[in-house]
Amino acid sequence: MEYAVETSDLTKVFENKEEGVKQYIKAVDHVNIKVKHGEFFGLLGPNGAGKTTLIKMLCTIILPTEGTAKVNGYDIIKEPHKVRSSFGWFHGETGGRSLYWRLNAEDNLKFYAYLQNVPKDIAEKRIKALLEFFELTKDSKKLVKDYSTGMKVKVMLARALLHNPPILFMDEPTIGLDTISAVETRRLLKALNSELGKTIVFTSHNMFEVEQLCERIAIMKDGRVIADAPPSVLREMLRDVHAVEVEIREVDDLSKTVEALSNLSIVKKVMDAKNESSNVIVRLQVDDEYEAIPIVASKLHSLGVKFSAVRRSEPTLEDIFVKLTRGEET
Amino acid sequence: MEVEKLVGIISEEVPRRKTPIYRVILSFVVRDFKVWWTYKFWLLLDISGMVLFVVTYYIFSLITTSQQVQEAGYVIGGYFTFALIGIAFQQYVHFAVQSINESIREEQWNGTMETILSTATDFRIFLLGEVCFSFIVSSALLLMSLLVGFILGARFYVTPSSILTAIILTVLLIASHMDIGILSTGVIMKVKQGSPVTWAFSWLSQLVSGVFYPLKLLPWYLEWVGKAFPLTYSLDGIRLCLQSGKDLTSPVIITNIVSLVIFIIVATPIALYVFKIGYDAARRDGSLGQY
Amino acid sequence: MKVEELIKLFKDDKPRLSSEVIHVWAVFWANFKIFLSYRTWVIMETISTVASIAMYSFMGLQVDATRVVLAGYGEVDWLSFALVGVATANYLWMCVSRLSHSLQHEIREGTLEPIITSLISMRSYIIGQSIRGFLVSGYFMLGVIVVGIGVLRTPLIINLETILSFIAVILLMVLSYAGIGIMAAGLILVYKKGDPLTFLFASVTEFLGGVLFPLKYLENFPILYVMAWLMPYTYALDAARRILLNGATLLSPNVLLNVTVLIVYTVIFIPLGLKVFKWGINRIRHEGTVATY
Ligand SMILES: Nc1ncnc2c1ncn2[C@@H]1O[C@H](COP(=O)(O)OP(=O)(O)O)[C@@H](O)[C@H]1O
Ligand SMILES: [Mg+2]
Repeated sequence: MEYAVETSDLTKVFENKEEGVKQYIKAVDHVNIKVKHGEFFGLLGPNGAGKTTLIKMLCTIILPTEGTAKVNGYDIIKEPHKVRSSFGWFHGETGGRSLYWRLNAEDNLKFYAYLQNVPKDIAEKRIKALLEFFELTKDSKKLVKDYSTGMKVKVMLARALLHNPPILFMDEPTIGLDTISAVETRRLLKALNSELGKTIVFTSHNMFEVEQLCERIAIMKDGRVIADAPPSVLREMLRDVHAVEVEIREVDDLSKTVEALSNLSIVKKVMDAKNESSNVIVRLQVDDEYEAIPIVASKLHSLGVKFSAVRRSEPTLEDIFVKLTRGEET
Repeated sequence: MEVEKLVGIISEEVPRRKTPIYRVILSFVVRDFKVWWTYKFWLLLDISGMVLFVVTYYIFSLITTSQQVQEAGYVIGGYFTFALIGIAFQQYVHFAVQSINESIREEQWNGTMETILSTATDFRIFLLGEVCFSFIVSSALLLMSLLVGFILGARFYVTPSSILTAIILTVLLIASHMDIGILSTGVIMKVKQGSPVTWAFSWLSQLVSGVFYPLKLLPWYLEWVGKAFPLTYSLDGIRLCLQSGKDLTSPVIITNIVSLVIFIIVATPIALYVFKIGYDAARRDGSLGQY
Repeated sequence: MKVEELIKLFKDDKPRLSSEVIHVWAVFWANFKIFLSYRTWVIMETISTVASIAMYSFMGLQVDATRVVLAGYGEVDWLSFALVGVATANYLWMCVSRLSHSLQHEIREGTLEPIITSLISMRSYIIGQSIRGFLVSGYFMLGVIVVGIGVLRTPLIINLETILSFIAVILLMVLSYAGIGIMAAGLILVYKKGDPLTFLFASVTEFLGGVLFPLKYLENFPILYVMAWLMPYTYALDAARRILLNGATLLSPNVLLNVTVLIVYTVIFIPLGLKVFKWGINRIRHEGTVATY
């Protein structure tokens, strides 16, 4: 029982019948991942990459076409019942469905607590605390159908934690939440991981939160895992990508400036340009950062552009993600 | 696909023509038919359910006497024909009362309601298109049940004038019940619940409009209540045409027709008003897409 | 509440003990609460039940009493004869379709997925839903009988023995159909839309079981007649009528015979139903359509 989650050639092929013609969709394609106990593991990938299907197979909701997996040491095909006592599952994409809309939040949670064999006194304490944590106490007697999507998502989150499982499958947990609740939820997950040693498998297509939370990240595309490493290692993969970023404060014609910069012989290409508060950040791929910085700065100066910094830019996971999923060679 | 390409395709100028109304309606009918066809099994069920119902009342007619029916003025065919007409025309009652409401609910279930409302289609044309298809299905079922009844021994007066009169009464039956359908849809949109109006109406009208028995058998107060229901007049009229060969020259038929027309004149503005209130309320609290 | 406090709370844990009774109770309790939230529906359904009984009473005025005697329950009036039929047929239909209705709902709402990932066994789920079905349908059956006796003065024979016997027959009737209900639910899981099987069953049962007319009149159609006596409902209805119309009890030979047939059907159909249901669950897990969004 070395790993909390261990898949071996886990594969799911969906059959779709469209107008009589059978189509096969390889949603998950021979995936082999190993998640250690207590690890915060991220699954990253664009929509349709197969993250949800992978998670649902681990949750015993979907049966694999080929291969198998062990969750908490139990086989998902042969011992589904034991697997089920090991995890809590949350699926953000449902947007608050999968609750009983005609029950209130408290009754929804009570129902699942019973189904998960949580002793009554403990269940009551936890429900009260979770409702309070998610700021639902005031509305806990209202029927769920009258909740906003964010509130429903919170009830679903509470439901996944209720039975205190050692493993949490969090499929896009922050998808319907406002910024503050998302921050709080991330804090909670982090604490559950570090304080209580819970294994967390976290899926997202949001780079930023995965990078912030996860100790290890697998990137999925078209059902396959195309990279599996800690964020630092992934970043290392871009070591040979040298970049500088320019923080521009005031400019008359941005596109003209960007064009002028890209015409510099030391600049290989413009990676992106985006607004950040009152500044514009332009990132340039170059051959050598330290050579490039003074050249870029003097060019900007000669163009009369007001800028506050020209500095070396750390490659982000987003770069890796774009690079890998676009199938570019390094 | 590159963003630029997509933008290019979207921004390509397509000349906008106004689609003729009949084409819009036809497209709804075709769509409904396609959806319905994928549930072929339901067709089979609808038909077998209908046949079973007719056969049940055929056998029930074997233990009844036709005396009351004849005393009430329905000359040929006896109790079975009497009940058959009541049962068969329920198809149209159900259609008129439910189809608008059901199609809206179906769209809401599928979450396609708001999409449809956001396209250029006029809401009324949308309703018309939705309703057309149910009308075709109901008509088919009605004719089939009359046919099954005929095979089992139901008998009708078939003369051009009696058939024509029956058709006029059928149109009035549909129109008057449409009003109730529109009204209840308005209520549903407002209160977001299965409509009490439709329920109460359909049960009460079965009870007091003489679907399964002549009105004479009701106690006086229920008979009196029955006079407020359009089904009473339309069924009586249709039965007099088909069982006694009456036509537009008969004063009883004229009375029935006039009563129905009065009902329609009074009910239509009320129904449209309630519908508008419900529709506006739903748009106001943004609940058009919910069920 | 702070993250830290929540974490502290979760540190305090007790072993979870599996209890099938609690699972059954939870399913029953949650679904009963949901049922109560449809207050308008309950009221409407009650009204329509009363209206339909009133309708039968007027229909009965056209019945030739001498032909009802053919049913073999002596000189009973048609209304009492039909009332027992309607009450039992409605009860059966509501119970049998309960499971498929709820499952259809749970698939549509996406609530079946969390149930599958929880520790409840499908057997407990089915039992919990069924208990709810018994109670809710029982309410409506009671309504029919109370209105029948209280308002319409139908001469049903009501005493302790007949009531107990009637309840036993009703339970056996539902059990003999439980297999079919579970089977239908299994098919619903896979085919999603509607519950064609139970629908067809309801109408065929009502017709062939002789709810509104003596079965004697089906003798002219030998196929239908044989089919009628292949259905457990026919036996249940016969037993119920002997009890409520003639005052027989569970121990009267005629009733006993019917009861035996019902038990045989129960024993055959329930395992079959569970097999189909299991097949259904695994099939949708395979197709990945436990919820259809
Ligand atoms: N039940 C299903 N039947 C057929 N195809 C499915 C089914 N569920 C998912 N898919 C397909 O499998 C692929 C992976 O989907 P999913 O796992 O939801 O991706 P992700 O969660 O990464 O966005 C998609 O192409 C999706 O259309
Ligand atoms: Mg997903």
